Formats: sequence, C-alpha cells, structure tokens
Amino acid sequence: MNAGLLVGVVAGSIMSGTSLLYATLGEVVGERAGIVNLGLEGIMLIGAASAFAATALTGSAYLGVVAAAFAGAAANLIFAYVVVGRHANQLAAGLSLMFFGIGMSTLIGRPFVGTLITGLPRLALPGLAPGGIGARLLGYDVLVYLALPTALFTWWLIFRTRWGLGLRTVGENAAAAYAAGLRPQRLQYQALVFAGALGGIGGAHLSVALTLTWAEGMTAGRGFIAIALVIFAKWNPLWAIAGALLFGGAEGLQLQLQAIGADVSPFVMNMTPYLLTLLVLIVWGWSRQSVAPAALGRNFVGVE
Amino acid sequence: MTRLKMMAVACWALLALVAAGPAGAQDKPSLIVGAVYVGSVNDYGYNRSMKDGLDEMKRNIPGLKLIEAENVPETAEVQRVMEGMIQQGAKLIFATSFGYQQFAFNLAKTHPDVYFEHAGGWMQAPNFGNFFGATQSAWYAMGVAAGKMTKSNTLGFVVGVPIGYALGNVNAFELGARSVNPKAQTHVVVTGGWSDKAKEAAAANALIDQGADVVTMHVDSPATIIQVAESRKVYSIGFQSIEARQLAPKYWITGLGFTWGPFMTDTAKSVIAGTFKPAMVREGLGQMMAIAPFGPAVPADVRQLVTASADKIEKGFNPFTGPITDNTGVVRIPAGESWGGDKMGNFDWYVEGVVGKAK
Repeated sequence: MNAGLLVGVVAGSIMSGTSLLYATLGEVVGERAGIVNLGLEGIMLIGAASAFAATALTGSAYLGVVAAAFAGAAANLIFAYVVVGRHANQLAAGLSLMFFGIGMSTLIGRPFVGTLITGLPRLALPGLAPGGIGARLLGYDVLVYLALPTALFTWWLIFRTRWGLGLRTVGENAAAAYAAGLRPQRLQYQALVFAGALGGIGGAHLSVALTLTWAEGMTAGRGFIAIALVIFAKWNPLWAIAGALLFGGAEGLQLQLQAIGADVSPFVMNMTPYLLTLLVLIVWGWSRQSVAPAALGRNFVGVE
Repeated sequence: MTRLKMMAVACWALLALVAAGPAGAQDKPSLIVGAVYVGSVNDYGYNRSMKDGLDEMKRNIPGLKLIEAENVPETAEVQRVMEGMIQQGAKLIFATSFGYQQFAFNLAKTHPDVYFEHAGGWMQAPNFGNFFGATQSAWYAMGVAAGKMTKSNTLGFVVGVPIGYALGNVNAFELGARSVNPKAQTHVVVTGGWSDKAKEAAAANALIDQGADVVTMHVDSPATIIQVAESRKVYSIGFQSIEARQLAPKYWITGLGFTWGPFMTDTAKSVIAGTFKPAMVREGLGQMMAIAPFGPAVPADVRQLVTASADKIEKGFNPFTGPITDNTGVVRIPAGESWGGDKMGNFDWYVEGVVGKAK
C-alpha cells in the first residue's frame, strides 16, 4: 500500500465528504420534522452560486459562506411555504424546488463565471511545508473543521433539547403534537430554514473551498446522494458523519486507484461510490421502518 | 365603449411604435451572425475560445452584427433559439457545441437561405459545413513540454469523458513526452463528466498524491484543475483557451488553445460575397490551434524545443506514425502506416507509457 494512496483517500474523503455532511445534516433536521425535501440539490446549487458571487463581490470567502447560508435558508423558506403553508405534495414541490434551484443558481452565478476568487484559506499547523503530505492531511479550511461540531450540535439539538423533542414529535405524529400544545407548522418552518442554511453551506464548500469555481450544475447529484445518506444514517446526525466519510472515501479511493493505474475499467470505477450507496441501503434497509419518522412525507393540515 | 376604443387606439399606437422603432433607428447591418454556446463564455475554456473567435470576426468585418445565446442545452431548445435568431435576420449561424448538430441540420433544411457552421460534426448540406481543430497532433507539443519539465517522470491527465478524440489527445501527449524523456509516463484519471468540478479537483489531487508533477486535462473548463495544481505547487498545462494561463501565475508551463477567428472571418466574408462552400474543415497548429505563452518557470531550452516541435507539426509531422504499440504490448499501428484526421475518433486504447485503462 503506498503512502500517497492512504493520505489521498483520507484527505479526499474529508474534502469531498464535508459538503455532503452539511447537506445531509440539513435533510436530517427537515425529515425529523416529517418533511422530505427532494430539492436539496437545488438548495446546494443556490448555496454554491451565492457563496461564489458574494466572495467575488466582497473578496471574503467567509462572507460568501454566510451569504450561502442565508440564500439556502431563503430558498427553503419558499419550499416551506409551499408544503407547510399551502399543503402541497412534498415530492412534487421538492422536485420543483430542485429545478428552481438550477435556474436560480445559473442566474446568480452567470456574471461571475470565470472570476478569480481567493477561497477559504487552508488553516495548516505551523511548520508544515505547504503542498506537502503533512499540509494535505492536516491543512483544511474552516468549514471542514466546523463539520464535526455542526454534526454534534445537530445531534444535541434533535435529541437533547425541548425543541428537538417537539420536532421529533411532529415528525412522528403532528396531530398528537398539536394536541399536546405544540405548533407543528411553526416547528416545520424553523426546521426547514435551518436545513436550508446547512444545505447552502454544503454548496458553498464546493464552490469557495474545493474548486474555487462556479459552474452550472456543479453539485452533479450530490444533493440526491445526501438524501440517500439520511436513510443510511437512520435520521441520526452522528451516523451522517460516517455516511459522508464513506461516500467521500469511496470517491477518493476510486480516483486514487485510477491514478495508480489499477486494472479496472474507468466506467466501473466511476460507478463504485453509487454501487456502494445501493449496497449499504440494501444491507441497512431492513430496519428502516422502525427508525423513519412515522409521518414522513405526510402534510399536517391542521385539526378540525 | 369609448374607454374600450381608447384602449384599442393606445394599443395600436404602441404596436406601431414598437414596429417602427428598431427599423428606423439604425442602418442595415452588412451581415447578422447568430452564435449559440453550450456554456458561459467566461469559462476560460471551450466557450471562451469560441467567443474570442467570433469577436475577432466582428472586428474584421465592418457593420457585422452578432447575436449570441449562452448556456443553451443540447436539446430541441437550441433549435428554437436558432430559429429566433433567423427571425431576427441572421444569415449565418455558428452552432458551437457537438450536440447541436442534428438541430442545426434540421433548420438548414427548412431555411436554405441561411448558412450554418457546426463545430466538430460531420454532416454536410449546400448551406451546412463543419469545422474543428486538429487537436491530437498539437498535443504532441504539449507532451514535449511536460516531458522536459517533469522531475518525477509522472505526468497526470484528467479526462472528462473518455471518447476517442480525448484518448487521442492523451496518446499524442505521451508520445511527445517520450520523444524527449523515455521514462515519462502519463497517468490518466477519468471523471465521467465534462463539468463535474468537485470530482475534477479530487482527480487532480489524486494524481498529485501519486507523484504527478505536471497536470493537464481535457474537460470543458480547465479552471478548477489548474487552480488545484497551482495551490499544490505543481506544473500545469492548459487546454481549450490560451487565456487559462491567468489562473496559474507561477506553475503554468504552456497550453493549447483554439484560434477560430480567421476561419470565422473567412466564412462570414464568403456568406456576404455569396460564395459559401460547405466543407469539413479540420485544421491544427498555426491555423485553428495555437500554443499559449510560456510560464515564468519554463527555461529557454525547453521553450525552443516546444516551439521546434510545433513547427514540425505545422509542416505536417504526424505523431501517429507506426510502429505504435499500446500499453498492453499489442502493435496497433504497424510500421509504415499512420493514422490521420478521420481516425482520430477511433482510439479505444492507450499508447505504451500511458498508465490507465481505456475501456
């Protein structure tokens, strides 16, 4: 086993897993409130475009990330109004949101295509040679370092706070939650705004940390992978960490194996992360019923 | 009733104004040219090269009017966009993406008085021609540059989609590298898409992790990969637009770009003169392809070597002259044979020295 491979897979899984983790955490919170958001891909795109645009305009990638969080939250607020406020079908509204996100991000990003930006700085330990293996393993941007605390915070929020208890109750049985004095729709709005902000940050990591580019459709399906990872994670933010690292690692590994010249077709190589996702869902799928929020996908239309 | 009448009169007046406005406002242009792009023209890549060529044409021909549409998908949508350009008076249309071919061809049949030029295709009609750069032979010169600059003898090549033309580029690159450095090997990583930026970044990183100290690519826009290489202090070679050098002030070696301007100018002139002739135009270095300026790290002797090899290619040197063996030891082009322009899409194998699997 060569050292480059090991370092590359570890660093690669962390780098490409980060945006997935933020997006997955957002979707976990939304689904805990009983709402499936298939528009996550669109939210991530809006986040990526807004972050890039704001970075180009202000010169600060940190402001870019903040802009992405607000833009993602705002876009998800529209979704929340449609499904919570107007009781529209969640799947249809989510897919519409995705297409809206594709168009909106193109509009936001268009004037900035080809703009050179200074991305989020790599915060390396002092003494590590830039460009070397040490800096590759231990020099990440702030969003990478904040990813784990964000997952822990989300877990705490869902499982250790009164707000989280209410959220989970709404996701299991909104009518019962209402009867118990909670306001399901307000909680769902709050959850979706939080989820949108995280989805936006996930997109921002792609554009202002990983690639320093804005290109249309640059999320390339990662929003949908994140939705699959929610099921893998059993709606638990801590398992989401494992899911994001596993998927990021699979992608990193197949690229490293190609770079080494492994005797496998590149077409097969590029399928492996998705095959792995399918495999994991098959193996884990049997216990899905018992952990999924019971009212997932069903709209609460109030009590007569 | 009177209110209705007044509204009707107002509407008519408005319509008359709209109709009269543009027609009376300006002189008739010498030629209206339509151009459709699949991406944004600021991508430092393929679309930028097309835009630069069309702008050059516009500068060369007084009174020429250019109508452009960016981000047009390769679906029936492009046919509607081009139809709209014809309604606005376009007599020449450049369909600059491969997937536009059938849609442009449909319009050529129904609009025999409008001329079409398609990038990269093969279809022809009295008012429909196509053009592209002969990229493969030009890549040989890039290989010469990489072979001289590498210290690890490991070159990295990120390929979007492994179509025959892309594999041909990789092969010519390795042949060029070997011509000056027999130990040079090209490692290939395929991302599976022309514009998956996050995967391009990861692929470039993977190649660098595996020891590549020169990275190059065949994807839509080279911007991401060049920036990754620069951030890891690794040399890069660009492709598509020679402007990509701005992305790597320190570690840029050189690059290949398309120079469509002269061809586009000649085509527009032929339409104005009524002498348009459809053809399948494929031109290489010196015509539709150019080598980008060298970066500051490239020593004089390497510059000379690359320029000399480019001259050789301009004068007709063909890198794909047998005997050429693939990377599994099978002779693919026997001694005395050579592969020319029409075979460049046929590669489904890599030459000896390329590390990777073609299919």
